[in-house]
Amino acid sequence: MLALAPVLAIAVIALATLALRAGQARQRRYLVGNVVGGPVDGPAILFFSGSTCTICHTAQRPALQRLAPALEGRVTVREVDVADEPTLAQRFKVMSLPTTVVLDGEGRARAVNAGFAPEKVLRRQLVEAGLVPA
Amino acid sequence: MGAVPFDRSVLKVGQVILMAGLLIGYVVSLFRPLAWIALPVLAVMMLHGAAVPSQSLPRQLYLKVLKPRGLVRPRVLVEDPAPHRFAQLVGGVFLAAASLLAIPGLYVAAWTLGWIVIALAFLNFAFDICVGCIMYAQLVRVGVLPLRRTAA
Repeated sequence: MLALAPVLAIAVIALATLALRAGQARQRRYLVGNVVGGPVDGPAILFFSGSTCTICHTAQRPALQRLAPALEGRVTVREVDVADEPTLAQRFKVMSLPTTVVLDGEGRARAVNAGFAPEKVLRRQLVEAGLVPA
Repeated sequence: MGAVPFDRSVLKVGQVILMAGLLIGYVVSLFRPLAWIALPVLAVMMLHGAAVPSQSLPRQLYLKVLKPRGLVRPRVLVEDPAPHRFAQLVGGVFLAAASLLAIPGLYVAAWTLGWIVIALAFLNFAFDICVGCIMYAQLVRVGVLPLRRTAA
């Protein structure tokens, strides 16, 4: 019976992962298409990060830096540390780090990415939202 | 801000001790149930590390043995240590709960919790994914934990 312990542990972790995914899907449904109101005027990418989020620093921030030239000043990139600005993170129902939110000029969320979003994905979302030319 | 120079190698040493201790304890317990004693021993190590980080066993081992001999290299980052401390607390609470389950003989439930801790420690060790730190950020976000960014 004791040999079942690792299998049960994997099952518990899998269930927790599914619950997290469901929460992320709820977050997307809640945000996308709705005016949530960003902390900046005009089109923006909000990048929610944290001091202990390694992937935020090693992957997401460099991806946003690579994307910056393509934005040509049309879209502002704003990094939000969830520990420094918990109210803003709460408003956007951030459940995991990194999270990136593409906002249009009216403060309406056009795309939400829970977890690392590659430069290509962000660029596509900006084009689809009509915020940068194709 | 509470971001301070913080040597992540201390965490890695702690994770290796934790994973090795739990794996050895689990394998031995397949033949000798009394090996569940590894659960409270490691729970104490984790809870002590969360309460008094400067005196934790992994830190002492790293500073006095591993680092001076060049066996583990320092990996200093400037960050807030509070989430890591919270993650240690979570691991310690899981192992304490596992110990309580083992006392009346609920070994499967106890070692299931033990394996969850092994899996989370492995995620942190191998991929720097700190689930306890994510929980910490969430609890700060919803206001359960205060925003306190002091050196731990």
